[in-house]
Amino acid sequence: MKRIFVFFLLVNLAFAANAQKYMTKSGYIGFFSHTSMEDIKGDNNQVAGVLDVSTGDMVLQALVKSFHFEKALMEEHFNENYMESEKFPKASFKGKITNLSSLNLSKNGTYDVTVEGDLTIRDVTKKVSAKGTVEVATGSITANSKFPIVPEDFKIEIPGVVREKIAKNLEVTVTMKYLPL
Amino acid sequence: MKTYVKVVLFFVFFIVVSAILAALYFYNLKHTDMSKAHPDFVITATALLKEFEDNETSASAKYVNKILEVDGIIGSINTAKDNILTISLRTESDLSSVICTFPAVADPSKFRAGDSITLRGECSGFLMDVLLNNCAAVNLKVK
Repeated sequence: MKRIFVFFLLVNLAFAANAQKYMTKSGYIGFFSHTSMEDIKGDNNQVAGVLDVSTGDMVLQALVKSFHFEKALMEEHFNENYMESEKFPKASFKGKITNLSSLNLSKNGTYDVTVEGDLTIRDVTKKVSAKGTVEVATGSITANSKFPIVPEDFKIEIPGVVREKIAKNLEVTVTMKYLPL
Repeated sequence: MKTYVKVVLFFVFFIVVSAILAALYFYNLKHTDMSKAHPDFVITATALLKEFEDNETSASAKYVNKILEVDGIIGSINTAKDNILTISLRTESDLSSVICTFPAVADPSKFRAGDSITLRGECSGFLMDVLLNNCAAVNLKVK
């Protein structure tokens, strides 16, 4: 039910009248875990997102299965043991740029923004707040952010034997290059 | 040392070494090479999208994690950092397509909108589009 809701939200956001909407279906979300034992990196280049620059609303949606790892076994463990992607195939974020007034869309440049909203992973929704930048260019808007997340916040169970190999805080990187709708 | 102790020690040593070798083998296992993989399904982009639009649950059960060989016409092309290439395949729908991501491609410029392509990839599921990952081009016909 929730998935259908998020889908309609995306579609609604995309089609609501009189608004300046930007969209992408090939945005990037990656995460990075660094410990002295191992560095782990997962990349997803198939993130769908809509940004409404008149209100600052944004929705992002991604398939867990679209995260790609250098090692096939890591990808399998990520999907089967930690994220349970068959049970929880999608992750989403619905939020807002809170300092929209500092953004000048008529002038190309890079602006600092703060985004707040609900991040849903494994059907667990958590309020998050992150700082980032918005690059206004002719014909596109690129949103960038880096923020930490804690796997245990989303009921991801990491067995004791491998706990030392996975960082307590994972660094999440988001790069969304939106085009006007 | 008694003979049976030696035998036991030898077996313990043998098991430990095999376990380490097996662990290293699995740890370094590569992703399936799609250009050589045998596809589980051969389908057109339009037909694939239609199955997901008609019933996402059953289409997901059928296709997710499977190797698909898909025929279609290239709609849009997007190159991200590290030459990761994402192309969309046109369908009858204006809103949705089949989006295919390739690992680092040496010459992304050989892909052009309008060309027909046959590619293989692993199906990840459906958002607003059907998503394929780890793709490789099997056949590219320039318009």
